[in-house]
Amino acid sequence: MTRAPTGHAASARLTGVHRRFGPVVALAGADLDVRPGEIHAVLGENGAGKSTLLGVLGGMLRPDAGLLEIGGAPVELRSPRDAWAHGVGLALGRRGIAGAWRLRYARVRAQAGELMRRTGLDVPLDASTERLGVGDRQRVEILKALLRDPPLLALDEPTAVLTPGEVLSLFGLLRDLAGEGRAVILVGHKIDEVLSVADRVTVLRHGRTTLEAARREVDAAALIQAMVGRDVDDPAAVGRRSDGRGSGRTRGQSVASLDAVRLRDATGRVVLDDVDLSVSRGELVGIAGVEGNGQRELAQVLAGRLVPEAGSVRVPEGVGFIPQDRTREGLVADFDLVENVALALHGEAVFANGPFVRWDALRERAEQVRERFDVRSTGVRQRVGTLSGGNQQRLVVGRELERARDLLVAENPTRGLDVAATAFVHAELRRLREAADGPAVVLVSTDLDEVMALSDRVLVMTRGRLVTVDDAQRTREGVGALMLGGRDAVA
Amino acid sequence: MQWLSSRLAGQVIAAVGALLLTAGISAVMLRLGGYDPLTAARALVGGAFGSSNAFLSVTLVRSVPLILTGLAVALAFRAGVWNIGAEGQLYAGAIAAVWVGLSVEGMSPWVAIPGVLLAAGLAGAVWALVPTLMKLHLGVGEVITTILMNFVGIYFAAYVVHGPLQESRGVFPQTDQIAATAQLPALLPGTRLHVGFALALALAMGLAVFLRRTRLGFQVRAVGASSEAARVAGRIDARRVILLSFLGSGVLAGLAGGVEVAGVTRALYEGLSPGWGYTAIAVALLAGLHPGAVVLTGVLFGALEAGAGAMQRDAGIPAVWVIAIEAIIILAVLAMDQLRRREVRRV
Repeated sequence: MTRAPTGHAASARLTGVHRRFGPVVALAGADLDVRPGEIHAVLGENGAGKSTLLGVLGGMLRPDAGLLEIGGAPVELRSPRDAWAHGVGLALGRRGIAGAWRLRYARVRAQAGELMRRTGLDVPLDASTERLGVGDRQRVEILKALLRDPPLLALDEPTAVLTPGEVLSLFGLLRDLAGEGRAVILVGHKIDEVLSVADRVTVLRHGRTTLEAARREVDAAALIQAMVGRDVDDPAAVGRRSDGRGSGRTRGQSVASLDAVRLRDATGRVVLDDVDLSVSRGELVGIAGVEGNGQRELAQVLAGRLVPEAGSVRVPEGVGFIPQDRTREGLVADFDLVENVALALHGEAVFANGPFVRWDALRERAEQVRERFDVRSTGVRQRVGTLSGGNQQRLVVGRELERARDLLVAENPTRGLDVAATAFVHAELRRLREAADGPAVVLVSTDLDEVMALSDRVLVMTRGRLVTVDDAQRTREGVGALMLGGRDAVA
Repeated sequence: MQWLSSRLAGQVIAAVGALLLTAGISAVMLRLGGYDPLTAARALVGGAFGSSNAFLSVTLVRSVPLILTGLAVALAFRAGVWNIGAEGQLYAGAIAAVWVGLSVEGMSPWVAIPGVLLAAGLAGAVWALVPTLMKLHLGVGEVITTILMNFVGIYFAAYVVHGPLQESRGVFPQTDQIAATAQLPALLPGTRLHVGFALALALAMGLAVFLRRTRLGFQVRAVGASSEAARVAGRIDARRVILLSFLGSGVLAGLAGGVEVAGVTRALYEGLSPGWGYTAIAVALLAGLHPGAVVLTGVLFGALEAGAGAMQRDAGIPAVWVIAIEAIIILAVLAMDQLRRREVRRV
């Protein structure tokens, strides 16, 4: 293993850190005190400033004010290289890897292979990172940080796209690292995970530290209180379904169907293998699965974005699609709210006047979406790139509901969202399936709890095949076994 | 509606900042070169704006090909197509214009002039078609292919004036004059300003309306800003949008060549363009890729080229200094652009 620079104590303390981006205040007096040998969780809603705080610690962002100490001495970090020299290693979230990059050098390969065994993280070493899905990218990002083996390791939402098994082995590894006297910072918003692994917890809200405590001093309710500043149900309880509703519901007419659909990806691997599916009005079909088993492609085929090489596809006219990567696939960051609403709706007859776009009507529609879905912004003329993740998703959800007359396909719609925004998305999906004459809803998600809680029918994708889950198997364990079955067979 | 947005204000500030930066750097360099920056500036401004003749017959006339190629670059860049090939497309347009212009002797101007311009635009599109197809079907980056097509265009023009279309006297490597009825009439009597300037203004306005108001124009902007979001969220056929905007860009650049031949030179010769197709990139970038602003920056660069001669004549400062100034403008624009990006970047 590459040895980290020695002689750096594995501790860091940030005091009263402030940082603005133009008009947006990301940090307004955040504190963080990380000690050697501990796993320190940083919790907060989207937009609370977690990533910005990591950016400051990682030397990518200069704070406007505040003190940064590493190993007890004040430091000034001018670049990520500086931070590394002080022993800080970072694995970023979605924005991690830039451009094409391959894990192909022999030495790195060997180490990466060893590390992959140890962590249980598995990525294709020969793929260009540009081609990797979000999950694999994140795995690469984590492996990259672990390869350098720094005294102080910071991971930004590492579990967002990992399978339960991967999460367990990653946490095991983090425990080992902490046991060797290193400090580990774990940024996230999943309270259960944090409670299971962290030694101490710091909670951020609106750029300020609202809570710092040892694990044994806090419970879930206290953390939620500190995160959102208001009473929200325990997220584990949100939408957990107690009734057997669904099985007794009458299904409406079928609005979309796939018949013997096959598809290969760019490398020739079969990603959809003889898939049959029919969805009807008034039902919510949940598709569970480990990332990379074909559900991305299934979602795109259902939404009419991909044409398979074989099989027949019947997709209705009014399809709404909530893609999983909202910043890349759902929104144009440089466009304002009106233009992003136009992105989805500019083809509809009401918004067209010959070859011209009816901007007045679109602006009105954008105002409506903004109001109804509570998209916090300075106005419909704000660039969406400057909105927080939760508000971006509110915009995407609101916009896609506008065109989902017959079918809504939602792909990991709550990934990376905070408690309140997640509850919002779940409520909208539920409202849709309750609505008379509502569209069919297909929920593709790697979050098993979400699928179990919301769906009338549950299906599992493994290795490009779609497996029906019968009532007997419809338990967390049963579905989990089906998901893992696919993964084991891959390996 | 969006004209008044703060984004536009930001771009205006960036452009003005870039020009001030250029003026400062140029002044220092001129001083280091042993020239008086004030004298140079006076001669330059005098040569470009000093008299109505200088402004109308020199500056505005020079700005016409710069505006047209600037619009070509702006359209392509808006779609995320890096068309560096306006120079070659301009030559293709000029060759086609001369060829048609020579063969319409005796026809009415109402037929001859549209014929010449149509041929020029088509030729520009054909020149852009090769890189377009290579990009769409083979995945070859258009930056390289368009640059290479420039050389093909430039040397093809040289071949044409030495061979098939050489003047009937056979002395100089140039073509005969095109038919009188194919030549663009003056826009203002008594000046050299031809109707090509009005055409450039109309096309700028048309392109602005296209990008701002039409569905296809919106799709062009969406594909340019994020082709992935355009495909997934917008269900936009990016290949179609790229094809159309690439060819449209070629049409505009080809028109620049045709208008120059029909409005100014009346004939084709080697070195017709002093690199307008490249300067066009600076024109478009300084304008923030806004068609309306391209008119302003096109006139500005026209003024620089017009003033260069006066500067050499009146102040004894070599005209090549203007080329250096143009290059500094590009660097200053890129620097200001980076600064602005840093300001709005979020983590």
